[in-house]
Amino acid sequence: MRGIKFSFLCREKPNPTGKRVAIIGAGPAGLTAAGYLVCRGHDVDIYDKMPEPGGLMLFVIPEFRIPVERVRLGAKELEEEFEVTYYPRTKVMEDEREDEGDEFYERVVRLSELRENYDAVLIATGIWNVRRIGIPGDDLEGILSPLELLFWIKGYELGYVPRDKVPKLEGKKVGIIGAGLTAVDVAFECNRLGAEVEIFYRRTIREAPAGAYEINILRNRGVKWFELVTPKRVIGENGRVRAIELLRTRLGEPDETGRRRPIPIEGSEFQVELDYLVFAIGMVSTPPVNGSYIVTDRRGRIVVDSRHMTSVEGIFAAGDVVNGPTKVGRAIKDGLYAAVSIDGWLRGEP
Amino acid sequence: MERKYLYLDHLTCIGCETCETVCDFIHDGSPHIRIYVTENKQYLPINCKHCDDAPCVRVCPTDAIYRDEDGAVRIAENRCIGCLACLQVCPYGVPFYSLKVRAITKCDMCADRREVGLEPACALMCPAEAIQYGPLEMVLELVNERRARNIPEHRRELSEEELRKSVSSGYVLL
Ligand SMILES: Cc1cc2nc3c(=O)[nH]c(=O)nc-3n(C[C@H](O)[C@H](O)[C@H](O)COP(=O)(O)OP(=O)(O)OC[C@H]3O[C@@H](n4cnc5c(N)ncnc54)[C@H](O)[C@@H]3O)c2cc1C
Ligand code: SF4
Ligand code: SF4
Repeated sequence: MRGIKFSFLCREKPNPTGKRVAIIGAGPAGLTAAGYLVCRGHDVDIYDKMPEPGGLMLFVIPEFRIPVERVRLGAKELEEEFEVTYYPRTKVMEDEREDEGDEFYERVVRLSELRENYDAVLIATGIWNVRRIGIPGDDLEGILSPLELLFWIKGYELGYVPRDKVPKLEGKKVGIIGAGLTAVDVAFECNRLGAEVEIFYRRTIREAPAGAYEINILRNRGVKWFELVTPKRVIGENGRVRAIELLRTRLGEPDETGRRRPIPIEGSEFQVELDYLVFAIGMVSTPPVNGSYIVTDRRGRIVVDSRHMTSVEGIFAAGDVVNGPTKVGRAIKDGLYAAVSIDGWLRGEP
Repeated sequence: MERKYLYLDHLTCIGCETCETVCDFIHDGSPHIRIYVTENKQYLPINCKHCDDAPCVRVCPTDAIYRDEDGAVRIAENRCIGCLACLQVCPYGVPFYSLKVRAITKCDMCADRREVGLEPACALMCPAEAIQYGPLEMVLELVNERRARNIPEHRRELSEEELRKSVSSGYVLL
């Protein structure tokens, strides 16, 4: 197998420009930007809070979709052939905030410090926080975030997480709320580990972001699909999840996303017994700041101009941290175009 | 030179859009590989198959479409008169008229890159290893190795015959 060739634009390192760029986040956006920048002769250092580069591609997306080895070899090639230096287990943060995956970092570096020590900085830190739904009982034991569940499973397989951290899912009943890529991947993994899986979604398959193609593969494997329901509360016993109470919904007029809005039907409550519950209802951008230093919008996403530059001159941003949850290809596109801008800016082009 | 194959395995593709993105990037915003989304949200990247007995080559009245030494079906833009015959006969709707070059353009297996020893960008960057490029035997081995690691229902090996057929389009020009 060969690695993802992040430096696909050149064969070897060109003459050095002497400029140094720090990239925060070694996901597809950060690594692709690094690939472009080294092909333009710049020196690149990459900071990431996880133990090795790859981002969601390595730590979260199931192996059957993206081979671990392909990501690892790709990152290694940047290091060995293009002298990219990785600083793993290093969280970059201007203020303070806890995100998913924080148990892996050992050092903290300030964003402003990087801005002082490098000619340019690119932020590509993705969406490492999950949205909370805010219903009674949503903090019971047995409620898992999709990110922690997926990287416990993959982290264990990669050798970073001890076995006792991975919930024993065999024969257990897992409920998943949501219908996007994340929900589908959680369902695949839980099903593979022997759980009985049921997905609850407030619209119908027709509206599901993951699409009927993926959902049908899951259904063929025995994953159950519950349409037109919305969670009302989680029912616990001795502090642990025992069941979920759902309300049936009907579809009303289209909302701002163009999809028909689910309307809960009063008095239609019913309960489903569960051992685990996963809320896969969306993820939130995690910039290396917490409300100050650079400008972020209402949803925590970094605000950039047409050059991918943030409100601080010389700090650029790309990928999910700017756009919210997207796809690998979109993150790569953003990484590429941000790198083009950084290169132009470093060369003093207008 | 040995014929090279550019094979896209739809069974291992995860629809991430990376191939279209990088192709778009190196072709100034006109990607030669395009992703079609079906009603049930299956993502299908479609690229030129560089067919064995390519109907576009056969139909072109000016011989502007030809096969190069690596096996890529290419277009000599200066000979293209824009008659759109190739567009009519391609079973995949691959060739398109470019207003910029005022000629037909299509995937040429990254001819400019091959000239300087680089491989097609989509194959190098596809995270899922769904696109493979190289001599037939190598592509077959890599595709089957990849399939073996895929979801169980997809663990069926591809034969040389099937791979060949899928890049030769099997389309008969009447
Ligand atoms: C469960 C799941 C399944 C998915 N499946 C698919 C799929 O099938 N196809 C597809 O195309 N897309 C899929 N996606 C989406 C895709 O993974 C993302 O869009 C893509 O990875 C975003 O890339 P990125 O580089 O912006 O961020 P990421 O890949 O998230 O990388 C960000 C990096 O930044 C690091 N980091 C974060 N904060 C800090 C900090 N403060 N300091 C230092 N480092 C930090 C992280 O450790 C990480 O390595 C999926 C996403 C999820 C969650
Ligand atoms: S796929 Fe279409 S454009 Fe490509 S060689 Fe075949 S007929 Fe020609
Ligand atoms: S890059 Fe690969 S996995 Fe992604 S859409 Fe293209 S062929 Fe599919």
